[in-house]
Amino acid sequence: MKWKLPYLSNKGKIAKPSIWVAILIILAVLPLFIKSPYLIHIINMTFIYILVTVSFRTILTSGQLPLAHAGFMGIGAYVSAIAAKTFGVSPWLSIPLGALVAMGVGILIGYPFARLRAVYYAMISLFFGMLIISGVKAFAKWTGGAAGLTGIPPLFGFNKVPYYYFFLGLTAVSLLILYRLESSRPGLNWKAIAQSYMVAASVGINEARYRIIASAIGCLFAGIAGATYAHYSTVVGPTSFSFMATIMLLIYVVVGGVGNFTGPIIGIFLLMTVPELLRGFREYVPYISAAIVLIVVFLMPKGVTGLVKSFLSWLAELWKSRRTNDAP
Amino acid sequence: MELAAGIFANVLILSAMYILVALGFALLFSIAGILHVSHGAIYTVSGYICWQLATTAGINQWLALLLTVLIVGAFGLFLEKFCFRPFTGDFDRSLVVGIGIILILQTTIVVTVGQESRSMSPFVAGILHSDFVSISLERIVTFAMGAAMLGVLVWFINKTKPGLQMRAMSQDLQGAIMQGINVNRTSAIAIVIACASAAVAGCLMGAYISLSPFMGDVVLGKALILVILGGMGSMTGIFYAGLLLGALDATLPIFFSGSVAEVIAMSAIIIVLLFRPTGFLGREIS
Repeated sequence: MKWKLPYLSNKGKIAKPSIWVAILIILAVLPLFIKSPYLIHIINMTFIYILVTVSFRTILTSGQLPLAHAGFMGIGAYVSAIAAKTFGVSPWLSIPLGALVAMGVGILIGYPFARLRAVYYAMISLFFGMLIISGVKAFAKWTGGAAGLTGIPPLFGFNKVPYYYFFLGLTAVSLLILYRLESSRPGLNWKAIAQSYMVAASVGINEARYRIIASAIGCLFAGIAGATYAHYSTVVGPTSFSFMATIMLLIYVVVGGVGNFTGPIIGIFLLMTVPELLRGFREYVPYISAAIVLIVVFLMPKGVTGLVKSFLSWLAELWKSRRTNDAP
Repeated sequence: MELAAGIFANVLILSAMYILVALGFALLFSIAGILHVSHGAIYTVSGYICWQLATTAGINQWLALLLTVLIVGAFGLFLEKFCFRPFTGDFDRSLVVGIGIILILQTTIVVTVGQESRSMSPFVAGILHSDFVSISLERIVTFAMGAAMLGVLVWFINKTKPGLQMRAMSQDLQGAIMQGINVNRTSAIAIVIACASAAVAGCLMGAYISLSPFMGDVVLGKALILVILGGMGSMTGIFYAGLLLGALDATLPIFFSGSVAEVIAMSAIIIVLLFRPTGFLGREIS
């Protein structure tokens, strides 16, 4: 009888979902043990940023570097906030509205921007992100300008625990959708385009179409995250959606590992949650982030998940060789 | 007349400073293949170093400027050797290293000096009176310094041997290696030059406007716009784009409020790039 490490076996596909279900159950009972509202707040923000960063990586898998991604989060946030605050729409309707507007803008700019590739796409999307921010500052009558928009109607009042379950459900469902997408036909097409757009086109993949689909889906989830963020924090300002915010998303992905779906989640945990927990000396927190970033970049070429992966395969290799050595 | 002269002086100064920062940025991008996002932070830090040397250590401000250029140049050498050379050809990771450097530099400024903006005493005081206009000497000196620095840079890149090697590297890296060009030394020279010109710009602009820990972000954005709009790998293009952007930045805020002017400028840039992705004078790079 052969015994295998359950996580490492090739046939152990059941192992992965069961790990995720276990994490989900732990997260579901967690608020019963955490009494500090501040801790719950940190976890809520982590959920929102996991959603944004994973959708950022979705666009990244299609070979596009979307440097306007935080800007799309901003579109969702501002549209939803203005609809709810100025026009009195219920947050339950304004959140989908904000997400759909973000997706619509993503599709609209997707058509002209699909002509550009690699660095040129990155740069034009960077300028589009700057355009969004300056637009927010210019229409100060609606958006509150550089000072930010306050008094956005909250989704559930001021208790953090309902938000916790809302964000947990939202993030879990969205991650499931994005994960399934990535391993299905469109996801494979995205990866093909990212590797070589010419080869992809030669086997009949419509490059422009799939790139637009990728940015539409990414922008949709960024919009959802932005809109829920607006109704959670009740205050939004342009700095949360600026170029540096997008760059931070890129850091989360690179630190976690670009090649892996769980990469962004680990990156967020290392760079957002851990420094947030060390808030006691908050002036020095960027030093900790910088140290983590530099350590990961210098020592782990494929990010944390890459290191874990190669460690696990090394372990499996060791296990295998020991078994063969033991055999008479 | 007075207003026109003021606008004209501002156009020239802003253009010269933008070009100075962007030229170093472009040099690094085309030669070493680094998207040097910490260029803005280096610009900021040099302004602060100059201010600290002049106020705390009590050194003459011109001497402080010189010292700052030396310090920042040496820092550039350190960056090239230990932070960028290990990641040659790896775009994502060198970008992330740059961000780590930004975090460290900005936090150091915030922790030691504080978030609020500081004013630096001008390099020269006084006003020049003539028959038509009166213009402050500081503006003239700032522009003259910027222009002189630009002249030296252009001369260096076009006429000297290291400059020739840099241009060879930006055209074809493999070919340059085969001709026996020491690639590492040439990129080290390039990064020292880039950091030194950013340092000059940082000190001059710190004195001309004011110092704040985040003043580099704006300049980094401008440098990116210049490099992309002028065309990667084209120096002349950067000059044209710099003059255009300086003119836009100095004149548009007179007619519109600041952020509306920004919206117009950004839309114009995006439209230009849609029709001409390689910029004014650029060539396609993969």
